Amino acid sequence: MSSLRDVEGELAAALKRLEGRCPYAETMAERTQGRRLRLDRETVTPQPLPRLEGVVFRAWDGSQWVEAAASGLSAHAVRSAVEGLMGRLPASGSSKGPPGPSATGRAERATTERRPIADVSFEELVAWGRTRLGWATSVAGIENALIAAQLAVDERLFLSTAGAYRFQHTARALGSVTPLAIEGGKVEFDYIQRGETGGAEVLDRLTEALVTHAAREARALLKAREPPTGPMNVVLDPTTTGTFAHESFGHGTEADQILRERSYLAPLLGTTVGPECLSIVDDGTYEGGWGSIYYDDEGTPSHRTVLIDQGRFVEVLHDRESAAALGRGVTGNARRADFLSRPFVRMTNTYVAPGSSSLDELVREAKNGVLLENFTSGIEDPLGGNMQLKVKKGRRIEGGELTEILPSMALSGKVLDFLKAIRGVSRREDFGVFAGFCGKGHSDLLRTGAGGPYLLSHAIVGPA
Amino acid sequence: MSDTNAFTAMRVADRLRHRTAAPWEVFGERLRRYEVHLNGDRVEMWRSPIELEGYGIRLFREGEEALGVGGAAATDLSDAGVEASLHDAETVARYGRFPARRISLPGPGSHYPEVDVVDRSLWAHPVEAIETYVHDLLEPFHGRSGVRPSFGSVRATLVEATLANSEGLQRRYAHTNVELELAVKAFGGAEGAPAGEYWATRRFRRLPGAQEVHADVDRWCRVAEDVRHAGSPVSAATNVVLPPGVLADILPTIVGFRLSGPAQLRKMMPPLDARVGAPILSIDDNGLEPFALGTAPSDDEGVPQARRPLLEGGLVRGSLTDRLHAGALGLSGGGGNGKRESAQFPNWFHFAEGLAPTSTTLEVPTGTGGSDDELIEAAREGLYVEQLGYAFPDPVSGAFGGELRAAYRIQNGRLGEPVRGGTIGGVVFAPEGAPSLLSQVQAIGSSTKLVGGLKTAAWLVGGMTVAGA
Repeated sequence: MSSLRDVEGELAAALKRLEGRCPYAETMAERTQGRRLRLDRETVTPQPLPRLEGVVFRAWDGSQWVEAAASGLSAHAVRSAVEGLMGRLPASGSSKGPPGPSATGRAERATTERRPIADVSFEELVAWGRTRLGWATSVAGIENALIAAQLAVDERLFLSTAGAYRFQHTARALGSVTPLAIEGGKVEFDYIQRGETGGAEVLDRLTEALVTHAAREARALLKAREPPTGPMNVVLDPTTTGTFAHESFGHGTEADQILRERSYLAPLLGTTVGPECLSIVDDGTYEGGWGSIYYDDEGTPSHRTVLIDQGRFVEVLHDRESAAALGRGVTGNARRADFLSRPFVRMTNTYVAPGSSSLDELVREAKNGVLLENFTSGIEDPLGGNMQLKVKKGRRIEGGELTEILPSMALSGKVLDFLKAIRGVSRREDFGVFAGFCGKGHSDLLRTGAGGPYLLSHAIVGPA
Repeated sequence: MSDTNAFTAMRVADRLRHRTAAPWEVFGERLRRYEVHLNGDRVEMWRSPIELEGYGIRLFREGEEALGVGGAAATDLSDAGVEASLHDAETVARYGRFPARRISLPGPGSHYPEVDVVDRSLWAHPVEAIETYVHDLLEPFHGRSGVRPSFGSVRATLVEATLANSEGLQRRYAHTNVELELAVKAFGGAEGAPAGEYWATRRFRRLPGAQEVHADVDRWCRVAEDVRHAGSPVSAATNVVLPPGVLADILPTIVGFRLSGPAQLRKMMPPLDARVGAPILSIDDNGLEPFALGTAPSDDEGVPQARRPLLEGGLVRGSLTDRLHAGALGLSGGGGNGKRESAQFPNWFHFAEGLAPTSTTLEVPTGTGGSDDELIEAAREGLYVEQLGYAFPDPVSGAFGGELRAAYRIQNGRLGEPVRGGTIGGVVFAPEGAPSLLSQVQAIGSSTKLVGGLKTAAWLVGGMTVAGA
């Protein structure tokens, strides 16, 4: 298959056509491919990932952005997208360019794949899955497990009339094992998942120890009692801490929502919102992060942006337009889900930085409450400032000790109250960044990472 | 949409016919999408046209003990692109394994129902139709103080779906889809209350008229204003009235999986005739509901869609299958629910999705509970849930739950103060005798509404767990 770089000439010629009609235009061509696997005791389904390719053009018409896109990378597809866009541009528009700095210069980056995705055969992938199925079903009471893997390569080529050229080749691998426990009409499960930028070596992180632990947990969940309900001390595990950082705080720091007057955090910028042990970071450069990128979809290199620095809310996330409107620098957070989706200000890898406590100390400090483990979802409330986090399981905390396993739970509360109630954050050895998918509103799902260590605070908890 | 090269699946099918004697199927789509993005009450960006054409192939390798199912999907319609997809599908069919000996794909000659799935005005004049809709959406805000939209989009897609298979089937049909997202913000006032928001998301086949849009916007504004004055719920097991909009976020994902061939194959489906719901509860899967999202003349395997009973009087009466699972489960014929769409994560194009049995529109016959007011009166004390943060229905365990984003206390049989925060949750299915959403239904209202993949009236459910302050 030809390289995505081969369409540079076609795209550059198309931008030349647009140059006469608008003060600024840019294009992003994309190609995705790879392979995936779903496997359990009943079925084995290896598949190539859909080979999706296409191009999007964005132009500033003097007062706002307009876009058009088409699938395919042929001359016909490029022409179709450009002509679609020209149909929406005024015959004679303003010569005033778009707000914010335009990227310039040439740059290229590619993920280092220790085991290149292109070299992994379907036979190897199936063997990988069968091994994990064997580990899961070796645990008494577990007869089946859902195994999934995805090895994806995403190539993006960005060009603009300001002379920018960015090519990025990003490889990502994601694997999960979900042991199923079924008894008397009740179905329970636990899961283990690892997703990172990198090659097929990432799948090896799903070790026998992790898989058999998840299988034993699934079995135990069949007999788990209902969780306690109401306000209580909560310790979040690293996956849940990450969801908290992403959903509850991160979305409110997307500066386009601040410009829409849809962020409860806007008036708090520059103030202290939490204890000194709390720092929250969005880091598109995080090595191996599931949400890591080399350049955003305006051509800006990815950044590490500290959002909360030792309790003080110091920065938000920008694209070129919001940075210009708020008098700040770009932060490399203008992201498209794909060539079919528009760019928004989006997170990359958002996490709570490590603190100085141990998990044992946080549990002792909590005395009574719950440990929330294995996030399943969260949803933002950017205007209202509430939070919803959900987990697959947890542990009761009684007398400063972890006791019985608990089934799925939801956590809710006011984010600012939750921040103020934080009493400790655990150390680097507990820290991790995990794979997730994030929507802007309810659309435009893209890959983001989220993480942190253990964290102790106070919130309302109920069954979910 | 031009007819030139319209038959995506047929173009790929031509190659397959000459290449393999194995059973195969091609599902193609040509899509044209128009998007308007809003910032406050102004249009922030037009995105149009967005043109997408692609296909998904399934190729079956029949064996002594199992079927090898190969699949591939792509947007590259060049000779080399199609050849690469066929090679991929043949390769993975060697490693794929499904517990059926053969697949019985439908041939030509089936009778396909006439269904309403096209907004003709949108199809003929998409830009003008969307502009009118956006105008209708924003008009009620003009001159209104203290409430306005903050974030939103309207995304309309015109689809031409085509299907061909090795049995000689060739099908083609058109449909339209619209996605609306609008966050309505209530703010200002002398009392210094915090701003409130109602976050509306809707998916439908046709653009609603001005009167319906204005009524919706009025209600969203009212809820956004109420949220500003909301109190906290208290922890309790309580009566809850759930309107169709909340149930639509829970039931299709969980019922659509737990009463399906894949669940049956994995021993997760309750047995036929088992009691899983209250005697007043029945649920059909209705693939023919006019202008419903799941409606089509055929499923994505080419089997005519129909109405199929799933629950009758709380007892399990049927399951959702495609031809592949019907074969594995020893059901003669079967199928009709093989869709390339996930109920949990719906996408605006389907050719790239895997095919699996999925609910079309779950339809709950009306009950005798009367209007929402009568259900509230019957509840006496409890909560009316207007909106959850996200119910996150888990199809495997059947659990659901989320934060109360907008709710009202029910006191003495009447709606009381607004409530926000805390969580509500439970399970949809439970072993007989254990509490569940389906088993705790006490009354079903008398007036149904179609929301997403569900047509139902509101439910009064007893003993739901609320976690509050």
